[in-house]
Amino acid sequence: MQTVKMVVTGAVNAGKTEFIRSISDIEVVSTERRATDDTRMIKHETTVAMDFGRIAIADDLVLHLFGTPGQKRFDFMWEILSEGMLGLIILVDSTRPETFRETNRIIDFFVSFRETPFVIAANKQDRPNAWAPDELRLALRQPAHVKILPCVASDRASVKNILLELLYVIQENSEEA
Amino acid sequence: MALVGNLRDFGLSDFLYLVDRGYKTGGLHLAYQHEMALLFFEQGKLLLAVRRPEDVQASLLVRLGVLTAEELNRARSGLAMSADGTTLTQVIVEEQLVPRERLQRALQGFTEEAVYGLFAWPEGEFRFEQNQRPAHDTPVIPMPISVDHLIMEGVRRIDEWGRIKDRIPSTDMVAHFLEQPREHLKGVKLSTTEWRLLARINDRDTLAELAQKTGMSDFEVCRMVYGFLTTGLVEVQRKPRPTSRGPQPAELPKVKKSLVNRIIHRIKDM
Repeated sequence: MQTVKMVVTGAVNAGKTEFIRSISDIEVVSTERRATDDTRMIKHETTVAMDFGRIAIADDLVLHLFGTPGQKRFDFMWEILSEGMLGLIILVDSTRPETFRETNRIIDFFVSFRETPFVIAANKQDRPNAWAPDELRLALRQPAHVKILPCVASDRASVKNILLELLYVIQENSEEA
Repeated sequence: MALVGNLRDFGLSDFLYLVDRGYKTGGLHLAYQHEMALLFFEQGKLLLAVRRPEDVQASLLVRLGVLTAEELNRARSGLAMSADGTTLTQVIVEEQLVPRERLQRALQGFTEEAVYGLFAWPEGEFRFEQNQRPAHDTPVIPMPISVDHLIMEGVRRIDEWGRIKDRIPSTDMVAHFLEQPREHLKGVKLSTTEWRLLARINDRDTLAELAQKTGMSDFEVCRMVYGFLTTGLVEVQRKPRPTSRGPQPAELPKVKKSLVNRIIHRIKDM
């Protein structure tokens, strides 16, 4: 059985757990706990270790989805999770500009040192005052070739679209046969 | 749809960059404690900035000494008789109540001062109402101004690391010129000290090394580079290190296209 891995990352409350729940074949393995620090202002529970979801591709192939913890003090987990990943989805809460700096820090961490295939998912596009993907591109200072896609993490079709767009990026960089 | 946030999290120079590069039209409403500001943009360029609600009224031109009260009344009468969509500024220019250059100079100076003061705000709620335009009788700058040099001037007034560290987290970074700096960068005016630093940028030296070579402080160098960065003149990247926190390129497996295609087909079928 071959397994491949994708990582879903983003700032606190960007929607990582919900994103994985929307698409996983199995009940997502989460390690959410009652928030004990400043994240308490945003959500009652937050991912303090990671989320794990799974999509069976075929009898001999499985795709694992790992959600990273959003809090800064769990940065060390990011490196562990990113080892051997196929690609990366960076979720942004489009309604909270106060998280854009943190998002940039995350992009910098995951992308600066290697050619990681990634897309940015502009989550919560169904909410009022959501910044549009074009506006997020300018806010996050991302070049035109980086895909910034509209997303609603609770909507399975939207999550599917994000995964496919990431796979197309990976496909471009893959080798024949 | 409005863009809302706080300058504490998304600074004014970042917002001006967004408006400029996004060719945005609309009104930016700012509030901090008991202060307010309103900036109008047309296609990314600044039409007017005011710090008091009454300054969006035509009487601003009298207060600035551009028009007499009598001339303003004539301009208002002209506006009342004009076709829909005509602005007070157009009437003033067309009826030659005041030379266009004088009107430009007065309103541009007023607007620039209003914006410069905003860079001192440590925080403030903002709301950008897309496609909001000034009233027809609001005086606006005849030739809307580029925000690039406003960004540079605003950056010169930054006196704290916090705002700079957001984009330049360490002096271990290297500045590179963008391959295709934008055409309207020609409008950016640099000081002698900024030129001195700009001339030293060579794709190799870190910001700390540039500080050492120019005799400037780390803060001065980072602040100037932050300005170059914000106006789109350079970009900064970490200097490649043999051992870094991030995973190394060697770890990246080359993925087979057939494998990716299988996953794509499965996801499509879900």
